[in-house]
Amino acid sequence: MRILVVGGGTGGTIVANNLARRLSAEIRARKVRLTMLSASDKHMYQPGLLYVAFGQMTPDQLYRDQASLLEGSIDFHVDPVEQFHLDQNKVITKSGKTYEYDILVMATGSRIVPEEIPGMAEGAETFYTEASAVKMFKRLREIQEGTVAVVVGVPHKCPIAPVELVFGLHDYFKARGIRDKIKIKYHYPIGRIHTIKEVAIWAEPEFKRMGIEYETLFNVSEVDVENKVVRSEEGTETPYEMLIAIPPHRGMEVIEQNNLGEGGWIPTDRFKLTMNGHDNVYVVGDTTNLPVSKTGSAAHFEAEVVSENIASIIKIGTPVRDYDGKVYCFIETGHDSATYAMFNYQNPPDLKPPSKPMHWFKMAYNQMYWTSVRGLL
Amino acid sequence: MSDSKIVDARDTFCPGPLMELITHMKRSNVGDTLELLSTDEGSGADVPEWVNKVGHEIISNEKIDGVWHIKIRKAK
Amino acid sequence: MTTQTETPLDAMPNEDLQRLVEFAQLVTAGRDAMSDEIVTRLAGAMSEGLTLLDRLTRNEGLMHLLKVLDRQDTQHLLIALSEAIHAASQEIPAAPPATGGLGCMLRVARDPGTQEGLRLLSVFGKHLSHSMREQHRRGG
Repeated sequence: MRILVVGGGTGGTIVANNLARRLSAEIRARKVRLTMLSASDKHMYQPGLLYVAFGQMTPDQLYRDQASLLEGSIDFHVDPVEQFHLDQNKVITKSGKTYEYDILVMATGSRIVPEEIPGMAEGAETFYTEASAVKMFKRLREIQEGTVAVVVGVPHKCPIAPVELVFGLHDYFKARGIRDKIKIKYHYPIGRIHTIKEVAIWAEPEFKRMGIEYETLFNVSEVDVENKVVRSEEGTETPYEMLIAIPPHRGMEVIEQNNLGEGGWIPTDRFKLTMNGHDNVYVVGDTTNLPVSKTGSAAHFEAEVVSENIASIIKIGTPVRDYDGKVYCFIETGHDSATYAMFNYQNPPDLKPPSKPMHWFKMAYNQMYWTSVRGLL
Repeated sequence: MSDSKIVDARDTFCPGPLMELITHMKRSNVGDTLELLSTDEGSGADVPEWVNKVGHEIISNEKIDGVWHIKIRKAK
Repeated sequence: MTTQTETPLDAMPNEDLQRLVEFAQLVTAGRDAMSDEIVTRLAGAMSEGLTLLDRLTRNEGLMHLLKVLDRQDTQHLLIALSEAIHAASQEIPAAPPATGGLGCMLRVARDPGTQEGLRLLSVFGKHLSHSMREQHRRGG
């Protein structure tokens, strides 16, 4: 039984490590072979990027060697897949090697595509890559006055990021002593300040208290880099001194090139997490087309279900449980406070009041993440 | 007339039905019809608000057995 | 006649209340002292500790060693080993340096202490070698 995991991010790493533990006897007896292919030898803790953008973490702290996170029984190669031949149960990699499999796990993630919006790549800062996060921090350090505008593309990973960003901006400029010289203007594409109703209801008075201006129903259409103006589909515009964008996203190029899903989003069963039409292909994390938040926590819970089911299929012939849509996300609310949103397909989020201990839990989780991708938490 | 593309956002809270609709609208062509399915109470009002502000067309908007079925045509 | 129900707090003796207040002050002081850096370092140490512990407990050889080390006769060996280390660290620096040559060799070989030591090493080596051959034969 050959199991192939494509993608070494949160979802892929947890699936691989969980399977290595559950199937350790079968792997030792050579009944099961577990392989992972990734485009990188490094594993990045993506939530750390926002800390880098505010100078609270240095880029080196974002990475660990992928090999150091994996169980020894996993056959790991830095050799990205270029062709998927699902009908023949095989993939072909960049180096020209062919990997045949009995079970495939797709965990390729997503990427930003600011180029979809004219002017965004040239004119807007972002914190969704290491380089851009460092660049954004340097600009935040230099700016003296004017409007800092925040715009949001659709879809994007980490839905809570826009809110955490503006709270962080408020705290940062206060600490710099120039909050009164900076106008923060937040723009959101739908008719309230956040897609999660409970977050929007809680955040609105906070925005007022912090003096954060906002405009809802603002869908970015273009960035006029020369005149430093950002415009919306609705016909409004905001001039800015500094523009920070959360760019729109697509699935990885290889998914689109292999026609596995429109926009790079693979059609996935929302409970079984199998790819539509391919029962031996599982999909976890950002690359699914599910209407589930593109977050590390969703990838984590999906990976737990997938690894449990693959192991049970091998041991007893059937899967054992469904994905219930669970997501658990920290929300840093600024000033050393935080809360969290937890929900699934059946239960809406129920926000607790922000507290300091919750902020410490997030700080602790930044370290515990590495233990959790090893399959220990 | 082409078939409606179904956007099934029932039982989801984040990013939620309207954001899912926006994602699918972006990938559609002018003239395409999308049908959004949502169990969110507010969709009946939130979705038309967005559709009208951005400049697309609502074809129909009805609630059947607790599920909103909202048909939208991409107008631009 | 009481006009209001006595609350549990009212019924508490003063010293207990005082202790509760002190405890609450301690918790607040702890919270105030806590910083992001402290939490980060603590969580980091605990996470690494958990990872290490997991690796150690899944190491078959190490777990077997622990089992053997628990045994009474092994305890004797370990105690003897530590006493021998102590005695040797006193004796060796005090002994005159070897003069070299075959004559000195013969003198050392004739010494009963040397013969005891060689026998110990030989017995140890014999069992080590045997166990390794057994495991290889069994397909380890």
